[in-house]
This record gives sequence, structure tokens and C-alpha cells, in this order.
Amino acid sequence: MKLGRELPILGVLVVVVLARLFLRRRRGAETAPTRREPGRSLRLGAAFSLVAALFGDAGLVASREIKERARGRLFRLGTLAVLVIVALAIGLSTLSHHKRPVVDVALVNVPARLHAPIVASGAAAGMTVRLSELASPQAAAAALRAGTVAIAVEGTDRIVVNKSLGTASTSAADQLARALSSELGAQDAIRAAGLSAAQAAALARARPVPIVSLAKSTNTSEQVASLIGLPLLFFMFIQYNTWTLLGVMEEESTRVVEVLLAAVRPTALLTGKVLGIGVLALVQAGLIVGVALSVAKATGSTLAKGTTPSFLAAIVIWLLVGYAFYAWVYAAAGSMAERRDQVQAIALPLSVPIAIGYVVGIIAQASANASLVTKVLAYLPPTAPFAMPALVGLNAVSWWQVLASVLISVVCTIGVARLAAVIYRRAILRTGRRVGLREVLRRERVRAA
Amino acid sequence: MAEDGLCLEALTRRYGAVTALDGLSFSVPTAQVVGFLGPNGAGKTTTMRAIFGLVELEAGAVTWRGRPIDAAARRRFGYMPEERGLYPTMQVREQLEYLGRLHGMGQQAARGRTAQWLERLGLAERADTKVEALSHGNQQRVQLCAALVHDPELLVLDEPLAGLDPGGIDEISEVLIEQARAGVSVLLSSHQLDLVEDLCESVVIIDHGRLVTKGTVQELATSGAKRLSVRVESPADPSWARGLSGVTVSEVHGDVLRLVLDEGVDSDLVLRAAMAEGRVTEFAFERRRLSEVFREAMA
Repeated sequence: MKLGRELPILGVLVVVVLARLFLRRRRGAETAPTRREPGRSLRLGAAFSLVAALFGDAGLVASREIKERARGRLFRLGTLAVLVIVALAIGLSTLSHHKRPVVDVALVNVPARLHAPIVASGAAAGMTVRLSELASPQAAAAALRAGTVAIAVEGTDRIVVNKSLGTASTSAADQLARALSSELGAQDAIRAAGLSAAQAAALARARPVPIVSLAKSTNTSEQVASLIGLPLLFFMFIQYNTWTLLGVMEEESTRVVEVLLAAVRPTALLTGKVLGIGVLALVQAGLIVGVALSVAKATGSTLAKGTTPSFLAAIVIWLLVGYAFYAWVYAAAGSMAERRDQVQAIALPLSVPIAIGYVVGIIAQASANASLVTKVLAYLPPTAPFAMPALVGLNAVSWWQVLASVLISVVCTIGVARLAAVIYRRAILRTGRRVGLREVLRRERVRAA
Repeated sequence: MAEDGLCLEALTRRYGAVTALDGLSFSVPTAQVVGFLGPNGAGKTTTMRAIFGLVELEAGAVTWRGRPIDAAARRRFGYMPEERGLYPTMQVREQLEYLGRLHGMGQQAARGRTAQWLERLGLAERADTKVEALSHGNQQRVQLCAALVHDPELLVLDEPLAGLDPGGIDEISEVLIEQARAGVSVLLSSHQLDLVEDLCESVVIIDHGRLVTKGTVQELATSGAKRLSVRVESPADPSWARGLSGVTVSEVHGDVLRLVLDEGVDSDLVLRAAMAEGRVTEFAFERRRLSEVFREAMA
């Protein structure tokens, strides 16, 4: 693919995203100081009413969560930044992969019949050869010194370069010089052998025999996709669970939670928050995957070709299941913190299983080896979101194993959600010092007894 | 009386060794403003939280119109917690509409009532401002709107007048009296006893989680020993009242004596003694100020 075709695609993409964000912000700014236009807010309101009607109080809470967060500058800029980074990472890696080096070759008294073989040698080595004819070896030497050409071919049997070739040099000019050296020698030999034109042409068509390896290639395109998929999960889990934690903590520290809980059950409040942030996470993940696949397709990256539906499905399923599992844990943790400085101490231990799952998944992918550890972790809810898609990517599990793991996670998530609601209810109205988990649970047992 | 309003019966709650509520009982009748008084740490906030189910009780029950309070009943209550709570970065109007909807209002109704309350409390111009950008007084007004937006049947307000300027106090007092006249039960706590005396029809005084006294402001002001204020111009004996049996001189301000009469002492006796001393230019029964009632109750 030519460089000229790819740059506009990237450019257009970035401009479109920037323009959309700019317009949305301007629209927001226009409506802010004046009374809201009834028509628009009604339509928006109707959409949110639908969510509210479907999920009751939790739906109302979720709508607020989505509306307020999507409005935030941090969310918009963050999403934009991630999209641009993903697009650039895929686009640029493809560009650098496809970019054909151009080598300038000066010809001094080279017969016309050799022009085509010289260009073909360059093409075979993956480069474009630009020919220019010079009158004398002196002119060629001057051009070499000046750097306007990389190689000079004189007559049929002399190749001149500016600096001597390093034995292991892989630069395009050096590679071409070596190729031309063989090619011109071969052409000379063909001529000397007095072969017929047809025989000479047949020799010129000689192609290397392909080499086939017995072991499965470790660098399949599917793995490239997997290596994108797991970091996406990691990023989403850390990002959105931290949001849940901070959101719960802020409601506690601003004391708005007391007003809310006077009207809504704690479970509805917690469910709404998890649901709202989950919807945003899914939308953002969808955007990232969409942009990644579009850019990959447009630039001809191997990413799009390698993403099998099963792997894509595994990523989406585990994004949902994994988020649901961790969201409750983080929400309960948030209710035990009251200030931002307490968040670090609470969030760190929670991120350990996420990190372990991620590392195990990545190692399994990179080594193309479904180890026993990976297979065990694929059934544990905290690590399954990484280990299981990794196994799916390696074709190391069958569908019922995936289903079993999903079921285990769902059941555990229900248990975790219940426990989280208890912790939340008991911890959220405590002010002053941080409430310890043991204290919250002990008080619960006393009450139950 | 208890059947038609809020009734708290023998509420008990302990936090470790601390007893926050100790068998506390009282009621808030319909269409009345009830003042809820007590020193810091008496259990007022815990009581208010218990009404909303935010505190788990070890014993006792809270009923509304004779029934235990469920989620549906609670939605028709309005609450202004002591520690004010609103989303700082959310716009005033959206916040109030949201809270209205959480209390079960439809979207149109929530929008309509929000607009009306913002207008009523002079916040219409600030409807699209973020809460954090408002002054303390205006934040307090928004907090009151949050308690009122869904037309509650019961208002529970923890220190609604704290930190307001005199204009703000008048404005909010007026709203609360208006609400009570419209049939709303209002329970409000305050340390500004003079304001409570003007605003409330009855008061409940608690300490250490226990009821100390309760009654209408009128009852409390006139109950107990009678108080007289008597002015005698140029009395022959400035301590003329000291010899009267069953009468205690509580204060002397120049010619004016403040007297406390024991149970059964006839005020005519005092009047005759005063007239014998000189020209009586003032002779009045005094109401106890609520602050006196409170201090006596706490003593």
C-alpha cells in the first residue's frame, strides 16, 4: 500500500473525531447559560426515560451517571486520546511495514537490456529502484560522494559505492548493491554461455524455492489481535473500575448519598452506578475496537485479518463478565473510603488479581503455550477475563469450557454483588475515619445474630 | 394525634458503648411544625436518619399514618440532612429534577416543580449554574428545594436555618409555615431557640437519646411556676418583695423586680404588697422564653 493513500485516511479520521467533539462541546456551551431548548431535551429525556423505565431507580441512577460523565471534558479528551493513539499505533506500524525504500542508481554506459533486470533486482528485495544515466565514471563518482545516488553501475561489470559494504549491513542500498553484484554476474554468465533468448529468459525467471517449517508459526495474525485484545481489557477494567470506586467515594464525601438513600434503596443506587459506568465502558470499548478495525482494514494491517469472530466474541464477553465482577468489588471498596488519599491504599490490592490475570494471559499468548496455570486461572473469576480469551486465541479450549467459566463468573458475581451491597449499606454513612472491612462484616454478623 | 402523622416509639440504638437513642418516643402531627431540640450529641441526627431507615434500630418502630414506613412511604418524605449533600458539579436544575424523579415523579412533573421552587426561592436565574458555584446561602436554598421538589407529606430538616442571613431565615421560615398550613408535617432541628419559638407550634427536647420534655410552645412557656414582672416607682423599701411568702426574687433591674411565684401563691397578694409600697406602673405575667425552658430542661 502506498504511503499517499494511508495518510489521508488517518488525517480524515482524526479531523472527524476532533470536529465531532468540538461541535458537541460548542453545542453544550450554547445551551448552558440559556434556558434549554425543549425539543432537544425532550428527545434526550425520552431516551433516558426508556433506560429509567427498564431498570426503575437503578435506570435513573445509570442515566445520570452516563449523562454527567459523558459530559465531562476528561472523558471526551481521554476517549479522543485513546482513539488517536490506537489509530496511530496501527496505522504507523502498518505504514512502516509497507513503506518501500527508494534507491537511486546511476548508470554509466550500461546496455539497455540490463535496465530491466536492475529494477527487477530491487523489486525482488522489496525496494524501488530509480535509474539515472550519467555520462562518465567521474560524474558518477561525484554523484556518489554528493549522496544524490547510492550506487553507480558502470558498463556490465563494475559496481561502485561510496563506502565499502559492511558484511552484515541490511541497509536498502547495501542489499541492492549485493543483489546487483550477483545479478550482473549472472547476466554476464548467461551471455557468455551463448544461450538462446528463450533459455536466457527462462533462467532470468528463476525464483527461490519456498521454505516450509514443520512447527506451527508462532507469529500468526490471530496472536497479533490477541495482543491488542488483552491490553484493551486491562485498560478498561482499571479505568472504569477506578471510576466506580471514585464515584462511590465522592458521593460519600459530598454527603449527597444521604439524600439519595433517603429515596432509593442502596442496591438500586449501586446497581445504577455499575450499570451506567458499564454502558460507557462498552461504548468506549466499541469505539476503540471499531476505530482499530477500520484503521487496520484501511491500511491493510494484519490486525483485521487475524481477528477471528471467536476471539472477538471472547473479548466482548469477558469485557462484560469481568467488568461486572470487578465493578461490585470496587464499588464496595469505594464505600469504605471517604477521601482521595485513601483511594490508593484501597485500589492497589484490588488491581493485583487484574495484573496477574493480564500477565498470565499475555505470557500464554506470547509463548503460544496454554500452560496448566493459565488453564486453572481461566476458571477463576478474577483472572478468567484474561486467561480464557488467551486460551480461545490459542484454540486451546472448547465452547463448553468457555461456557463453564462464564457460568462460574456469573454465579460468583451475584455473590460478590450481594456482599458488596451489604458492605456498601453499612459503610457508606460512616464518616470520619476509614471503616475497616472486618469491622463492617463483624457488625453485620452481630445484627444477623 | 399519632395516627395521622409521624410516630416514633421507643427507638433504641447503640454504637458500641455509646447509647445514641434510648427508648425515645414522640410524634409529629399533620399540619404542624415541630421543633426538635437538644444539645450536640443528644441523638437528633440519629433519630432523623432512623425515620429514613438509614440507621438500623435495635428496638422501637417508626410509623407513618399508623403504618410501618416502607420504601413507597419514604418517597413521599423530604429530607435535608445536617451534612448538606448535593453533587457539586451538577447543574441546579438537573440535580433537582433528578432528585424529584428518584422520589417517583414523572419527568414533566419534576421539571415543573423544579422550576416553581427555583422561582419561589429566587434561584431561577441560577438554574443552570453548578451547585459548587453558588454561595452558601443559595446552596442551602437548593438543598431545601431538594427536600420540597416532590411535594412531600413529611419534611425532616436537620438545622435548616443554620448559617443563613436574616433574610434567608425569614424566607425559609415562611416556606415552612406555608407547608404546614398546606397539611405537611414538619420536623426541624435547630440550636436557634428564639427562631424555633417563633416558627414551631410544638417542640420536643431530647438529651442522651431520651425525651426530656415535649409540648406546644404555649404550654411550655406558661407551664411551671408563674413569673411576674413588677415595677413600683420609688418604693419605700426597695426589697419590698423579699418578705412575701412563696415568692422568690429572681432578678432586680432598677425599679423592676422579676418574681417567681410558688405553686398556689395568689398574684393578688403580690399586687397588694406592691401598691402598698408606691405607684405600680407595670404588673405583668411573663412567658418563659424557649431558651429558659431548654436550659431548665437541661439542668
